[in-house]
Amino acid sequence: MDFEAVIGLEIHAELNCTTKMFCDCPNRYGDEPNINTCPVCLWFPGAMPRFSQQALEKASLVCLGLGAELQPRSAFDQKVYYYPDLPKGFQLSQAHLPLSRGGGIDITDEAGKPKRARLHHIHMEEDVAKLVHEMEGRLPISLVDFNRAGTPLVEIVTEPDFRSPYEAMEFLKALRTQVRYTGCSECSMDNGTMRVDANISIRPRGTTQLNTKVEVKNMNSVRHVGDAIAYEITRQTAAVQAGETVILHTRLWDPDKKVTTPMRAKFEGPCVPDPSVPAIELTPEWVEKMRVRLPEMPAARAERFVKQHGLTTEEARFLSSDLEVAGYFEALIREGIPPRTAMHWLTTQLMPALKERGLELGASPVTPARFAALLKMLSKDEINANAAREVLVHLFDNEDTPEAIVTARGFRQVSDTGALDALIDKVLAAQPAAVADVKKGQGKAMGFLVGQVMQASGGKANPKVIRELLGKKLGA
Amino acid sequence: MDSVFVYRHSESAAPSGGPLQGLRIAIQPNISVADWPTEAGSNALANFTALEDATIVQRLRQAGASLCGSTRMSEFGFGLQGSQAGGAFQWQAADAELVLDMMGESRLAASRVGVCGFKPSWGLVSRFGLVDLIPSMECCGLLSASLEHIREILKTIAGQDGLDFSLPDEKPIDFSPRKIDPKNNTLGVITEAHSGLPADQEKMFHASLDDLKRAGFTLREVSFPDFPLFSLVHQIVGSVEASCAAGRYDSVRYGPRAPGGKNWNEMYLLSRGIAFGPLVKSYLFQGAYFQFERFGAFEDACRIRARLLAGMHALTSQAEFLVFPAASGAPSGAPALLPETYAQFASTLFANVTGQPALYVPPAPGAGNSGFQVAGARLSDARLLDLGEHLLNMRRGGN
Repeated sequence: MDFEAVIGLEIHAELNCTTKMFCDCPNRYGDEPNINTCPVCLWFPGAMPRFSQQALEKASLVCLGLGAELQPRSAFDQKVYYYPDLPKGFQLSQAHLPLSRGGGIDITDEAGKPKRARLHHIHMEEDVAKLVHEMEGRLPISLVDFNRAGTPLVEIVTEPDFRSPYEAMEFLKALRTQVRYTGCSECSMDNGTMRVDANISIRPRGTTQLNTKVEVKNMNSVRHVGDAIAYEITRQTAAVQAGETVILHTRLWDPDKKVTTPMRAKFEGPCVPDPSVPAIELTPEWVEKMRVRLPEMPAARAERFVKQHGLTTEEARFLSSDLEVAGYFEALIREGIPPRTAMHWLTTQLMPALKERGLELGASPVTPARFAALLKMLSKDEINANAAREVLVHLFDNEDTPEAIVTARGFRQVSDTGALDALIDKVLAAQPAAVADVKKGQGKAMGFLVGQVMQASGGKANPKVIRELLGKKLGA
Repeated sequence: MDSVFVYRHSESAAPSGGPLQGLRIAIQPNISVADWPTEAGSNALANFTALEDATIVQRLRQAGASLCGSTRMSEFGFGLQGSQAGGAFQWQAADAELVLDMMGESRLAASRVGVCGFKPSWGLVSRFGLVDLIPSMECCGLLSASLEHIREILKTIAGQDGLDFSLPDEKPIDFSPRKIDPKNNTLGVITEAHSGLPADQEKMFHASLDDLKRAGFTLREVSFPDFPLFSLVHQIVGSVEASCAAGRYDSVRYGPRAPGGKNWNEMYLLSRGIAFGPLVKSYLFQGAYFQFERFGAFEDACRIRARLLAGMHALTSQAEFLVFPAASGAPSGAPALLPETYAQFASTLFANVTGQPALYVPPAPGAGNSGFQVAGARLSDARLLDLGEHLLNMRRGGN
């Protein structure tokens, strides 16, 4: 029998709020354990949760950025389970009345066909503490770090709309781009600010029922999510074909062995309305205020780049897929750089140079203003492309303006025909064979002569002017 | 007196001039006072010392009151088993006591020692710093022989608190006393609230009603057939909330850790096992049962609670205040189990389900009744105290 997979995803994204969700402790990663704690996030007797306005705003921006509909009324529940990473015995989460419903992302499937991946809902919840297991001599010990306890999260729950690992991976990449765009989460699977659980079931192709699913956790890259789903489809198909029944449970992805292993029966704790966190009521005016704060999302921006700046769809999509890159590109345009030059130099020169140095665009010493000044000199023929690449290197190393670097290092292009004339005459005298070839109409020889003159000028000559002068002199 | 207090404190003179200057107030150990033992009557919190003051403590001290110690309480304030609420009066060690009211504990404790017991409206007084068990039903009750003291204390501790976001955003209450004119006030009596009392208690309740009639109030008998559901709703919703709230009283971070667990899960289980007394433990089990096995019943109870709230609210259009017995007809003696505990509070727990204010008015010395409760709509606390003062004054031959 031919089977198809039915895949749904649950994505936890950590919001980059200043404080935790229910107290004023800093929401900061990487600090010494148990520094950022207080009676609230340690859940001491008598402590009461104080819901953060910033968490609500950031969560709402994520919802709006994903086209979801913010609900006029949402509320927190106590999701009951006992584990040492949650010593108060419940997690504050929105189980019954989520912050938003609906929404979705447009992706492209393997066949290149557009597909809408729908979201079921998005809810807010607090993160739990982090468990650290160590050995003290031969004694295994378990430690609890409460720095993470109470970190604000959104959980994005999709409809079971994916049919292949590829679709799930495409969705995650697009989701990451869009959530980063809102500026509310770093969404990095690497450091755990984005965590993905996949729910996978299979059914005979052509049928519509939803069969018993298996939940897979512990993937720390988009690639691993794809691998884990692929493995699970194969495993379930083989099991069903062998006459076994799929039972509801949770499995862990083992990235080294590239297999999923059973962890536990899937646990669904009860969710009791929380009596201490007030229900959240959003007025249409407030929602509108949030909508205004939302940046232009990548799809709309790409479309505008095509229309406004004449880029190809592919170029526009690439530039708009990263908020920083798109912003940098537009800053160059505002400085008066032609769109194609800006696109070309940004993607083929500046970005590789940043990557080489391990720098982020936002933290680059080559600000849009400095880079634009360099590109302006290039388009005015004050320097040539070779020199521009050299100047770029210097822009990383010191704080001088490109103009100052060009002057100080003598990169200015020589377009003065008088100065070039002498150089050209010298080259022509030294290369009689090439001169003869040019006269015979061999274009290759012309290129060679231009190169020779260029070399003689120390790379500073304007190749366009050389070509013109050579042409005149040789009548070619 | 050691049997009354778990902790005594001789406070240095409070800042002078506050409205509560010189007033000695006893609290319970479920109210956080920095550096005081805050064990809430439970082994699960043994040796837990509060890190910071509850909002009410901070406000009381600021108003000049002196906190004279905390009295012995039942485990988490659930019921009155083991509680010495009211004992500080008997020893004349306090002018007022703060007593957690979860099912009617402050009102029944007041009736034990013959003083006034007041349960404020839910959402009027900050719960920040209170060790909670049933957050949606409990609130800090006030005991005193003087309703003026109760009014002044309530005025001091009531109102918005930046540390308790659960307080609804409502207009502050005007606490200034106003005269009650019996001619303009109808008192409602819910038939179902007293019809089940044993004959002798029913007789005493009627004696109280006769006193009210003689004082010039109009009494109106009203029917509220849902009244018996209050107990059921309280028990289901209350036990579920308690089961959640008690999760953090794990007896691991404070309280005694049980030895002998093979791994941490076992250590947690064993520690929780020895942490709670039998009454609270059975209550938590019941809550867990509704959480995990009968969640639908819990949701039904929440819906019925909303219906009870609406029903009681509708009654306030027929009568300004409602009169209830305080006694429940339950046999005297310390109840050991849940059913007996709930039977004991059958006449008082309605106010915890609805969040409305209720006042226990003690009988006049030598009178042939047992005292009774009056209740009003939510946030009618000041008016209810006006009514109480009118009734007490009446006995003194005033008005």
